[in-house]
Amino acid sequence: MAKNPLHTPFCEMFGIEYPIIAFTHCKDVVVAVTNAGGFSVLGEAMHTPDEIAADLKWIRDRIGTKPFGVDLVLPASVPPAGGLDELKSKIPQGHRDYADMIHKKYDVPEPKGKEALHQWGGLNQQMARAQLEVLLEERVPLLASGLGNPAFILDAAHARGIKVFGLVGKTRQAKREIEAGVDGIIAQGFDAAGHTGEMGTFSIVPEVVSIAQGKPVIAAGGVTTGRHLAAALCLGAAGVWTGTLWLASRESDVDMIIKERLIASTAEDTDFSKSISGMTMRVLKCPWTTEWKKPEAPAPLPAPYQMLLSSPYIQGANDNRRGDLMTEAAGQGVSFVTAMKPARQIVMDVVDEALTTFENLTGDD
Amino acid sequence: MDESSKPTTDRAVPGFDASVAGKRAECDGGGPILGTRYAGRQEFTGTLSGEFVDHGDPPWRWYLLKDLERKPDNYADECVWCESGSVFLVDEPNRVPGRP
Repeated sequence: MAKNPLHTPFCEMFGIEYPIIAFTHCKDVVVAVTNAGGFSVLGEAMHTPDEIAADLKWIRDRIGTKPFGVDLVLPASVPPAGGLDELKSKIPQGHRDYADMIHKKYDVPEPKGKEALHQWGGLNQQMARAQLEVLLEERVPLLASGLGNPAFILDAAHARGIKVFGLVGKTRQAKREIEAGVDGIIAQGFDAAGHTGEMGTFSIVPEVVSIAQGKPVIAAGGVTTGRHLAAALCLGAAGVWTGTLWLASRESDVDMIIKERLIASTAEDTDFSKSISGMTMRVLKCPWTTEWKKPEAPAPLPAPYQMLLSSPYIQGANDNRRGDLMTEAAGQGVSFVTAMKPARQIVMDVVDEALTTFENLTGDD
Repeated sequence: MDESSKPTTDRAVPGFDASVAGKRAECDGGGPILGTRYAGRQEFTGTLSGEFVDHGDPPWRWYLLKDLERKPDNYADECVWCESGSVFLVDEPNRVPGRP
């Protein structure tokens, strides 16, 4: 083969070997994937500015000058609500009663620690601005905006040599961000873990590529194998954004109980449910998601109210390591997460399978 | 870094943009989900009041969308603040509110 099909414009942009982007909340995964020749983006939406600065130093101490990225969730809409207590007071009694029924039926334990809801002031724009300041100060090579349009920060980022990518679920969002001057787009399909748009990966990726004006488009949603990588490149993507793939990796800090469930799960073991947050979110099935799908269940509340209801369940399950109750965001590609492997090996397995796929297509060897 | 070019977080300056007041708009909204590591999308359709708030410097503009015709099920409020880059004017889809 004359040209290495895995050497894409995204590889050129950052001087990396493989167009495999690990989106993770675990610093060890960032280090392992980066040092294996891939690219990592650390999700820092929940962290304070000081925590982010400490994480960046920890990572840089282990990867040197190799490039990596940070993902922040820039809000795109904010309800005109006040503080936590005011929000909680708006939850209807019928919903409280239904949540109580679930807690009793499944003997859901109390959270051991302070409710995470109280530890984060993420309801307003100020938190996101403070997080952004750290990334600008630290000149992180890539800033990924996991939701809102990052146009307002582009000039400041570019002045510091920072590339900015936006994650979108609709083509019109991609068009808006490209016209604003982002450096690339992550086009996320319905197959993805967590909260997604309504378009499938196979549909949104080529559509965004067609309007991207040559800027790199990264395919996200359901990507867990080398065949997915090859397919994404054939759709015109310059790389793949992978999350579920790393959750069960050896370096991942996800609880071992969840790792074992991920390894045993298929796409059918995921639920696309509003019961966790009030927004449709793909997660591993658990009693909470199952109960809220029953006909007698009240309609889940919108965000952030449903999260206020589900938080004690999730935190109680996690704090007490109740495997029968726990859940985790997982994409439909979870079927191919079948072993707990080192992240480096996962990178190499995906690369090898993608190259084999291209060789099989072209007849080259 | 030049301190004068450092973005600030502590200013929220309200204003009124007559050029969008009364216009129907869609908002591809959403945000971080309280207490989790995740984000979620929420969609709204309504009428821009024209009120805005610029957060920090460089300004991060947010418009008030009222008289919501479309909102998430059980959304309790009658209005929502929408980031300007996520607002799509129904009759002027290519115009980004807040920019020339």
